[in-house]
Amino acid sequence: MYSPVWALSLFIGISILLFLLFRPEKGWFWAIRKSNINNQKIVIEDILKLLYHSENQDKILNINDITTSLNEPESNILESVNEMARHSLILIEGENVRLSESGSDYALRMVRAHRLWEKFLAEKTGFAESDWHHIAEKKEHELTDQDTDYLASVLGNPQFDPHGDPIPTKTGKVADIKGIALSDLDVNHLGRIIHIKDKPDIIYKQILAENIHIGSQVRVVEKDSNRIVFHCEGEAFKLAPIIAANITVSLLKKEYISEDNVARLSMLNENEYATIIGISKEMRGESRRRLLDLGFVKGANVKVDLLNPLGEPKAFLIKGTSIALRNNQASKILIKKD
Amino acid sequence: MKKDNIENLIALSNDLRWQIGDDFHDNLTEGIYADAAEIVSAAVHKKDEKGKLRFDARIDKIITSRTWGFPLMFLVLATVLWLTIVGANYPSAFLGNILLDHIHPFLKTLATNIGFPIWLNGFLIDGVYLAVAWVVAVMLPPMAIFFPLFTLLEDFGYLPRVAFNLDNLFKRAGAHGKQALTMSMGFGCNAAGVVATRIIDSPRERLIAIITNNFSLCNGRWPTQILIATIFVGAVVPQSFSGIASLAAVIGIAVLGMGFMFLTSWALSKTVLKGEVSTFNLELPPYRPPRFWKTIYTSLIDRTLIVLWRAIVFAAPAGAVIWLISNLHIGDITIAAWTIDLFNPFGFLLGLNGVILLAYVVAIPANEIVIPTILMLTVLVTGISGGAGAGVMFEADSANATGDILRSGGWTLLTAINLMLFSLLHNPCSTTIYTIYKETKSVKWTVVASILPVIMGFVVTFLVAQIWRILA
Repeated sequence: MYSPVWALSLFIGISILLFLLFRPEKGWFWAIRKSNINNQKIVIEDILKLLYHSENQDKILNINDITTSLNEPESNILESVNEMARHSLILIEGENVRLSESGSDYALRMVRAHRLWEKFLAEKTGFAESDWHHIAEKKEHELTDQDTDYLASVLGNPQFDPHGDPIPTKTGKVADIKGIALSDLDVNHLGRIIHIKDKPDIIYKQILAENIHIGSQVRVVEKDSNRIVFHCEGEAFKLAPIIAANITVSLLKKEYISEDNVARLSMLNENEYATIIGISKEMRGESRRRLLDLGFVKGANVKVDLLNPLGEPKAFLIKGTSIALRNNQASKILIKKD
Repeated sequence: MKKDNIENLIALSNDLRWQIGDDFHDNLTEGIYADAAEIVSAAVHKKDEKGKLRFDARIDKIITSRTWGFPLMFLVLATVLWLTIVGANYPSAFLGNILLDHIHPFLKTLATNIGFPIWLNGFLIDGVYLAVAWVVAVMLPPMAIFFPLFTLLEDFGYLPRVAFNLDNLFKRAGAHGKQALTMSMGFGCNAAGVVATRIIDSPRERLIAIITNNFSLCNGRWPTQILIATIFVGAVVPQSFSGIASLAAVIGIAVLGMGFMFLTSWALSKTVLKGEVSTFNLELPPYRPPRFWKTIYTSLIDRTLIVLWRAIVFAAPAGAVIWLISNLHIGDITIAAWTIDLFNPFGFLLGLNGVILLAYVVAIPANEIVIPTILMLTVLVTGISGGAGAGVMFEADSANATGDILRSGGWTLLTAINLMLFSLLHNPCSTTIYTIYKETKSVKWTVVASILPVIMGFVVTFLVAQIWRILA
């Protein structure tokens, strides 16, 4: 009756089944659970957001555009569009679809919920930057107006989300960002990064991998149709224009403090002294507070105390104490070498 | 009217907050530091301490160097463990002699003379007293050696450098370098290791360290590993290599534990703990001569005695249960025999047996009493001669005698290897579980930390057993 081969095969079979059922994202169990949720509300809200963002860029969409942009069966979308027209959230003019005033309001509330949740994820949780958008994309459909208001007050009514997008207020006020795409910045002009677009995913992840931060000063040194080279915090970065177009910068006057002396703490060598200029905006929440509390504040002197046999973390001497920081932290502290 | 005013105020404060912007907290901290620096420069006169600093730097250069850093670390850890395991033998034997060989018979006679009924005598003296005495004899000496040594190293300033050296490895597993310390502490006692995770101030990494601490073989498990390796692993190689072979087997299990620790840390940080807040910082304090007596005193009081007390509290009822299951009958067989029959098929599937599984259930309070319980139960169900009676835990006089009893219980090399694996991968003892609950204040994480290793133990022993049987 018992045979080790049988027992082993049975075990492997069960393991495979469990894996197929419960593997993250694609597991059957999650798929079944998802299909059980009534998703017309979600489709409607996604269409509203799509229309809102397009109208912000002065693009008018038709029904065809909507069906191709959203990852939903066409019948679902058409049904939702009819439903929306019935509740006069949208106005249909021939092929074109526009938001009505109440639709606009609704869309703004969704955007507010989405961006507030991203801010929350950035400040109060440990989720990775690349996950924020996807989590918020699901969560925005679950938050009620009371939830968002409560969230806003807990976060101190923030103006911008972690990508630099403005968060609409309760009354629908939206701060506007005045800036140009990094790809449009001329050679030798100074700018400060104020916004990094979190879509499409592939480009966003590339920007994250380059270690480019919101709030950093940039100076373009070379530019042609293939690539843009710019200096930022003591390092030279090369980006394809299509990627640079996803980064928005605000123009800075030329006589603004020259950034040539600015570097990242991670670039400090042994036996060099430096003064801290500040902590990058990308250092958030608990981690930022901790660094400040340890004395990594503007004007503090710092030097490398100890190198690590495995490369990182390195220990830095600050305020007479030796504090070890990992490279991803040290790269978000800005210094001026003495 | 008043209400309006308040709402206006709130609106105003919100407006102002927008104007102040995000840098408010930064500016505040900068201001505080600037003020503090001013006060310090006015009030504190510093002697020139350059010479001392240079001395510190010289030690640091060696301890964190590529060449010497790692060998030094292993040397220190090996020395501490060796001192603990070998050094604890003598006081353990001494305590065992007094508590088990002298006081136990004395109490038995005393109870009989006073006129205790036989069942009360057995329940209290053979059950409760014996379990407590056993735990004290086996647990106290290693902890009384290990904790002071560890605390001295900590006090001297060496341990933060270890965390510094190893952090990169732990970072790859999503953990904190200080987990190296809590893990080493776990080699002494997992409950103490869990308490020690307080030094990790990042919530995510601290939970990881708590949940994976059980993968460090604790004091209660080292003797089991060494005994079983000596009897079974040492026996399959030529006599002259048996010492080395069994030592290698024990070290192999400990290293395997570290492997599971890294693997589990990585898996936890990538899945269920992904959203917990994670920060990092590690302060490297200056070296200072340890305050020897104070360290000995506090480590004995704070660590050893507290852990020992908790162990006793949990061991007492365990002893009672062990005595009861071996002496109470269902029909004409004891509860123990009945449960063992029930567990046997599952035990066989895992390459273990019902006796071992039952021993691990009743010995949840303390790993120290697993082997005595296994011996007692084996004698009970096989009916061979030996032992001290139903429900009375005992230890054989020599490793050979232990081996004979176990072999007559049907043990093979596979049973021995799987017991060693299961001893590494099973639920934490109840003292540790209770400590985990106290530290996390969360039923959820306590359950995860308790169940996860057992499941891993079942899977690993199962796989080993099947593959062994297919190949054999």
